[in-house]
Amino acid sequence: MEDLSKSPQSQHASLRVPTDLNALVRVLEWFDRLESPAVPQRIWLQCKTALAEGFTNAVRHAHRDRGDDDLPIEVEFEQTPTYLELRILDSGPPFDLEGKLNNLPTSSDLHATGGRGLKLMQCIADRLSYKRLDDKRNCLSILKYYESEP
Amino acid sequence: MNPDEVKIVRPEGLLDGVKASQVRRDISECLEAGARIVLLDLKDVTFIDSSGLGALVSALKTVRAADAKMFICSISDQVKILFELTSMNRVFKVYADREEFERNVLSSP
Repeated sequence: MEDLSKSPQSQHASLRVPTDLNALVRVLEWFDRLESPAVPQRIWLQCKTALAEGFTNAVRHAHRDRGDDDLPIEVEFEQTPTYLELRILDSGPPFDLEGKLNNLPTSSDLHATGGRGLKLMQCIADRLSYKRLDDKRNCLSILKYYESEP
Repeated sequence: MNPDEVKIVRPEGLLDGVKASQVRRDISECLEAGARIVLLDLKDVTFIDSSGLGALVSALKTVRAADAKMFICSISDQVKILFELTSMNRVFKVYADREEFERNVLSSP
């Protein structure tokens, strides 16, 4: 019999962390613990890279100037047999992701010292979306398809 | 090559913006101490985010402004993926490990 607990095809988990760049370590360690042998490592590492960008963007931009308000950031993970989805929920003002993505410079400066975060998420995700929720939070979703490892 | 002119910087753990800025300062100190070649050994770095990457590009600019050279070696699979996605293989000269760096850079006639 296959031991699905060791090789999950489907799982979901969530984590709540403070608006603090130092919490990135915790977020990444949490994600490491969810790693499934069913998912190719390359896909996993790409998602981990996108997760770091989504989280630090929420800290730096969504909750900018609100570090004192003790606002948490919630990270949700869902794995199905065909895709991985990471959702990052913040309580900041709404943000025009589409507009921002459409206005990214097409030829990026290789020697730029910043501004790569959104582009990285866009490159990695098969679907990158952002929506306002009814509870006045925003949800950034990073969805990535994968083919199960045999 | 005078061995005093080669300096190795070897950070650890997660290189985010804050930690990579420290690396940039360490590299500046190497230059002030007379280094002509800086090797950034990333053997113990598990993860780099885009802010960390930005600080490394900034370090490279400082090195070039000082007319010195910077090389990178021993990158993890995640750093490899990050470098590919951001075309950093066209910006940084990356060696597989320290041995390959020494063979290619230090033993040149």
